[in-house]
Amino acid sequence: MKKLDMDIAVIGAGPAGLAAALKARELGAEKVLILERDTEAGGILQQCIHDGFGLHRFGKRMAGTEYAQVFIDALEKTDITLLTDTMVLEITAQRTIYACSRQEGMMEIRCGAIILAMGCRERTAGQIQLMGYRPAGILTAGSVQRYINLEGYLPGSRAVILGSGDIGLIMARRMSLEGIKVEGVYEVMPHPGGLTRNIVQCLHDFDILLHLSSGVVKVHGKKRLEGVTVARLDENRTPIPGTEEYIECDLLVLAVGLIPENELSIGCGIEMDPKTKGPLLDEEFMTSVPGIFACGNVAVVFDLVDYVSDSAETAARGAVRFLWEGILEPLQYVKTVPSGNINLIVPQRIRRGGEKTVSFYLRVKKPDKKVVLEVQEKDRVRESRRFAFVAPPEMIAFKAAASGSGDVILDMKEGSHA
Amino acid sequence: MKEELQKKLREAFPQLTLDLEINERRIVTVRGECGSWDELVDVGHFLAKQKEVKNVVSRMTVRGLAIPEKDYAPLAEKGRKKGVIRKADVVIVGAGVTGCGIARELAKYDLDIVVCEMSDDVCTGASKANNGNIHPGMAVKPGTLKARLNVEGNRLFQKWADELHFALDWCGCLGVVTDEKLMPAVEAVYQVALMNGVYKPEIVSPERALELEPGLAKRNLDIKGGAYFPSFGQVETYEVVLALAENAAQNRTTFLLNTTVADVLHENGTVRGVLTDRGIIEARYVINCAGVYADEISAMAGDACYTIHPRKGTLAVLDKHCRPEFNGVVMIIDGNQIQNKKNAESKGGGMGRTNEWQMLLGPSATEVPDKEDNTTTPEDLAYTMAINTNPNAGVADIIRIFCGVRPSDFSEDFVIEMSPVTHGFINVGAIQSPGLASAPAIAKMVEEILLKDAGSVPLRASYDPVLPPKTNFRHMSHEEQDALIRKDPRYGRIICRCEQITEGEILDAIHSRIVPTSVDAIKRRTRAGMGRCQGGFCQPKVLEILARELGKDPTEICLKDGDSRILLKENRRGTLNPQPEKGDGPV
Repeated sequence: MKKLDMDIAVIGAGPAGLAAALKARELGAEKVLILERDTEAGGILQQCIHDGFGLHRFGKRMAGTEYAQVFIDALEKTDITLLTDTMVLEITAQRTIYACSRQEGMMEIRCGAIILAMGCRERTAGQIQLMGYRPAGILTAGSVQRYINLEGYLPGSRAVILGSGDIGLIMARRMSLEGIKVEGVYEVMPHPGGLTRNIVQCLHDFDILLHLSSGVVKVHGKKRLEGVTVARLDENRTPIPGTEEYIECDLLVLAVGLIPENELSIGCGIEMDPKTKGPLLDEEFMTSVPGIFACGNVAVVFDLVDYVSDSAETAARGAVRFLWEGILEPLQYVKTVPSGNINLIVPQRIRRGGEKTVSFYLRVKKPDKKVVLEVQEKDRVRESRRFAFVAPPEMIAFKAAASGSGDVILDMKEGSHA
Repeated sequence: MKEELQKKLREAFPQLTLDLEINERRIVTVRGECGSWDELVDVGHFLAKQKEVKNVVSRMTVRGLAIPEKDYAPLAEKGRKKGVIRKADVVIVGAGVTGCGIARELAKYDLDIVVCEMSDDVCTGASKANNGNIHPGMAVKPGTLKARLNVEGNRLFQKWADELHFALDWCGCLGVVTDEKLMPAVEAVYQVALMNGVYKPEIVSPERALELEPGLAKRNLDIKGGAYFPSFGQVETYEVVLALAENAAQNRTTFLLNTTVADVLHENGTVRGVLTDRGIIEARYVINCAGVYADEISAMAGDACYTIHPRKGTLAVLDKHCRPEFNGVVMIIDGNQIQNKKNAESKGGGMGRTNEWQMLLGPSATEVPDKEDNTTTPEDLAYTMAINTNPNAGVADIIRIFCGVRPSDFSEDFVIEMSPVTHGFINVGAIQSPGLASAPAIAKMVEEILLKDAGSVPLRASYDPVLPPKTNFRHMSHEEQDALIRKDPRYGRIICRCEQITEGEILDAIHSRIVPTSVDAIKRRTRAGMGRCQGGFCQPKVLEILARELGKDPTEICLKDGDSRILLKENRRGTLNPQPEKGDGPV
């Protein structure tokens, strides 16, 4: 078995992994390695040919592929090693990676620090308990995107979209442009799952209706999809009798959520946050296993790639510091506590002691208008921010100071109307 | 006898007007209209339970319900035009575990065997969608054919596993009760097990129960006692059926896939062969292993002697992160168990696990009129999920819900016999649970029936009962994986990331004797797509490999049998940008 020693190994060459590797090298880590399971770098951005990427980071609207290319071009000017078609099979808590590829066979890679950047996967028909037959013609939005944009094939001619997550909305527009008739988008929640800008640009502009509190209750067609029965749902998501409607279609697109892909993390004993479905992280994006960091969608599902890149750079800074300084004594933490309308926070904890600036990423539980977000530490309001509008799909990202002397409470009173 | 039966029926179902006929083989044919499908099934069961009745053929209808019927006429017409395409000694109809098991058993003789399967692959019916339990035989009525074959089949399974190299785990089945009042029921099950000749059943103390299943300790139960059956085994049924088919093919059995038998040819009380949609196959013996369609095939042979009433069962597979608490199947009975009336005729499934350590729940049991109705419903799923007692697992952990249809008859026993009406036609019908556990014994029984009729049949000189083991990358140590990739780099490319399935394994499957042509056929052979992302990532890659290896266009690749294409046509690339001239580089 081939043995390697690396300063920092990054798992995944998507937007998170690329940004993390570049930043780690820039900060002085010498032997940086990226392990990528696909045949090229870029991750899911390679199938994102729509624009809207890079507004925050580069101040312009770029296609996903363009955004990725910026990092790929930068990577080529460095001595970072990129191994593609390489699958990581196992990570140990002692920071050894086992990975394989056609060219190298199995590799045992001992690392100073590891940055996890495996991204996320889509929820499937089984996970949402889709009922009825199981014919061809039911695909996740990401698979449809791959088939149309990368492989160059259309998986249907009349589509129903279940779920209003961003990829579903993007695909509503993309499919319309490809001549696939989109019969409607059905969302089980009473509010949309995707960004407002995508509702406007991908649905309204194409005369596609979004049906809230509605879902697919039965799939028809034994071999290939023939249609779906949709119905309105009550507050318990139970179909309301009499509201059923049959829609003929040959493609059902599932845009029903993303799950961080943490099987490797769980395998090496990293503690997880049931809310984010990502590792429990501190302000340097280090996991509960010292020297293993996480960033991008494996940490928490971000909506904007710009935030993914930022999180990667935070993790890279932490990894390089770990490489040089190590951790001399066991770390002590204070918690970040969601309060009021706040649903989840990353990082979930902050190292005790020392004034620091922390990048916070949060999501709210439900939509609200004219609200105030307060950062409280030891009953002291350290920072407060106003928001004209908040909604679960729109992640809130901001930096705030914290002293690490006590739990940090992030509070957003419902309808605080400041 | 007929009048007496008619009277009993009137008393039991005074609301119905039904006509009976009973023949010298004690087969009752019943006609008339029922109010509902469940009522029709009740009538059938009622009649079959009478001691003067051997089995029941239903010609009943249901008010306001069109019972789906398969139309064989166009298939027969198509086949007749093609004439005789093959002459064989034996035709087996259906390539489930029964058909493939029999084919493999008979392949040791110098016989020309043809298996006809209507689907695109072996193992697509009842054999595909079940929980892979090898039942010990304590749950079947003593004295039935089922009871004998279940226990015998259970004992023969290890030999199958040894020769065919599929995974078989004798994980055991433990039932415990937490109420003293239930101990007589435990004793009763134990007695049935003894009567049936089940291998080493055991009445267990609370201490012994904890020793057998240490996971029980966490439950803090007040266990009063229980029964343990060490001969409860677990397989992946598709692995078993594929191995049987591969080995049969290795020993010169011909498999005709996508071939529907539309008629059974017979004259003067002797079978002559089958008419399929691809032409006529002449044969001395026709063995009917057609699952839910077995009653129809039997009727084609002039021997309508049972009716299959489909009973569907819904199962759920849970994410591997919900680790099963127990090594085997554990039933904790506290007297408050859900009682499902519909489930009375068929042992529903319990809380088990696959050999890949995924929790597996189900099946449920629901009577349906349509033999191809494998729809999942919220009611059936609720039943299946109610089986779960693992506190760390729930609906949110489901990765796959599926449903299969059991081919049950009204006698709720197997029908295995040389037809007394049409010589050479052998019925192997109504093989529902425990059909999987019984399969090796069913194969032996059919072998005996055939040998008894044919007299001495020479053995095949080249017969080899051993199927070489498959390469399973995921089960190897990292050192073994390294050595394998160095020998053949195709095992170094992971296609299915959730289950760690390599391109090498997919190529092994494609270049095997029973060629898989659909994405699901690859899934059953390799597990690619069986993990938590359910093919979200690997389906495009599997599709591409299939198209490449089979020399097909991607738009021709199907998910399963029939017209189940995944991709319908190319996108607009040709119209947006003019195609470059050949040699201009990539498009």
